[in-house]
Amino acid sequence: MLRVSKLTKQIDHRQIIEDVSFDWQPGEIVGLVGRNGVGKTTLFRTMTRQYLADAGQVLIDQHDLGAEPAAQRQLFFIDTQYNFLGNYRLRDLPDFYALVYTQFDRDRYTQLLTRFKLNGQDQYRRLSKGMRALVNLILALTSNATYIILDEPFDGLDVIVRENIASMVIDEVADQTKGFLISSHDLNELDGLSDRVLLLKDNRLAHDYNLEDVRAKAKKMQLVFKDKEIPQVLKTHSKLIRVSGRVLVVVFPDYTPELDDQLRALNPVLLEELPLTLEDLFRANLSQDTGYQLLK
Amino acid sequence: MTKNLSRLLWRRYRQWFWALLGISVLAGIAIALMDTESWSHHSSVLFSDQIDQWLVYQNSKYGSVSLFSYWFVFIAWLSGLLLMMQDLKGNFNQFLFASGYPRQRIYWTKLGMALTGLLAIDVVTALVQYLIYWLKLPHGMSFNLALPGFLTTWLSGLVLALVMFAICWFAALIVGQSGALVITVCGFTLSLVGLNTFFQGETILMATRDVEWLAMGLWLLAAVVLLVWGSFLFSRLSLEHDGEYLMFPRLRIPLYLVFVAYITFIFSINSGEWQPTVISFTVAAIFGYLWLWRPQLIEKWRQRRGN
Repeated sequence: MLRVSKLTKQIDHRQIIEDVSFDWQPGEIVGLVGRNGVGKTTLFRTMTRQYLADAGQVLIDQHDLGAEPAAQRQLFFIDTQYNFLGNYRLRDLPDFYALVYTQFDRDRYTQLLTRFKLNGQDQYRRLSKGMRALVNLILALTSNATYIILDEPFDGLDVIVRENIASMVIDEVADQTKGFLISSHDLNELDGLSDRVLLLKDNRLAHDYNLEDVRAKAKKMQLVFKDKEIPQVLKTHSKLIRVSGRVLVVVFPDYTPELDDQLRALNPVLLEELPLTLEDLFRANLSQDTGYQLLK
Repeated sequence: MTKNLSRLLWRRYRQWFWALLGISVLAGIAIALMDTESWSHHSSVLFSDQIDQWLVYQNSKYGSVSLFSYWFVFIAWLSGLLLMMQDLKGNFNQFLFASGYPRQRIYWTKLGMALTGLLAIDVVTALVQYLIYWLKLPHGMSFNLALPGFLTTWLSGLVLALVMFAICWFAALIVGQSGALVITVCGFTLSLVGLNTFFQGETILMATRDVEWLAMGLWLLAAVVLLVWGSFLFSRLSLEHDGEYLMFPRLRIPLYLVFVAYITFIFSINSGEWQPTVISFTVAAIFGYLWLWRPQLIEKWRQRRGN
């Protein structure tokens, strides 16, 4: 298990992350969400000791990475903004990674390059953004590290690459030996991928959601009532997502049979369940505070 | 794993070392060929009598010989600068710091590789130069190379190269801006040349041998201090200050004080008057403050303009 314990980092007297704590098990795909600039990348850089923490620890199987850096080889992170790969050809990259990650799988690396039509002769810096993201993921997977951090892996990618990355990540956790921590400022990207979502807000870890639990309770409904007035039961128990004429789209964070009876008793013209997205869940749970695409 | 770390670092720096070796050998050949042009046929031996003494060899009037070329000092200076700077600006430090190797081991392995590589380059270049001297030796002239002069010259040269390496290596560790770093180390190196001339004047009453060995001892001490201090700082290097002048903001005030004292010293040592001291102190104090605190000053100025 990887444990982040009370991790704190200040940069230029500004608190970037404060008292961040969470556990992360192999087999989990954990999403990390938060607004731009909330400290997601700083958290990753501090976890991987590129930035030295002001306080707190990162432990892997109870080994403190500060005191026992060798344990860090179970943790993989490529900084998408600052990495050394630019001037190297793709075929050269395993020379470096294999000397750090002793389980690095060169054959699989070559196979994946071929599968995604990436030329080993190409320099990393000459690749498109999407191709670089793919190479980063291929390096992450073939490193065979237990804990893999992906920072905005879907940023600016086309739908095909996005699907490829998502399916590779899902395949990889199937045997429960690897875990992923994936950051994104767009909740839709993590939908269907993450089991758990951490929400960073105001430099702190504001929530740690188990999505299965949240989804089991919540429902998204489309409703039309005869009267223009919104019934009190909706105001009390739901979050209004969208209004279109008299059509209301709402999310009930805790949809119970009693609530269902109350709604039906109002004789709505339309009462229809809609697929619930991660974004809906966050709107329902955090209201405007989440700051995500609220006016869409 | 130490072996893997060495292989990793060699994988990173090998192109640099091969390129440097190639350039060094070419430069060495050029220097050696120019030396042979200066040889006079009035001497029957290549070296003067000084080669038999425990002194740094000075060329005789019959011709120059690069026993230990200043070129080696220059490549040590350049390597110290580039090996540390490249890893910061090329983001290789990110990879190293996340690699699971202890920082101390990374630092000393990298330093060991750099110094071994430089020594190998010096030796290969010197061998090529000596070969040229041997091949170009005129008829009737003999090759009277003696150990005292040879060893003293090499030792003195290597210590000078080491301290130049250490100065650049240390500067590149604490300065996070490439342009400012180059200006800083060039300025400091030039000031050292001036200081060296001054101290040569001050030690005129001492025996040459004593001065040379004293200088060697002081340079070596300075190099060791810088390299050990560098290892302490490397363990505490946090990369969020990459791109700022100082990678360690806590060094700002000590650096400011050293800068002001050093500039005041070098501009007033040759003068018995008080005016140069006051002027150099004032200029250094103002310039140092504006330079080291410029991000905060610029930010304040921007805020004032915004208001």
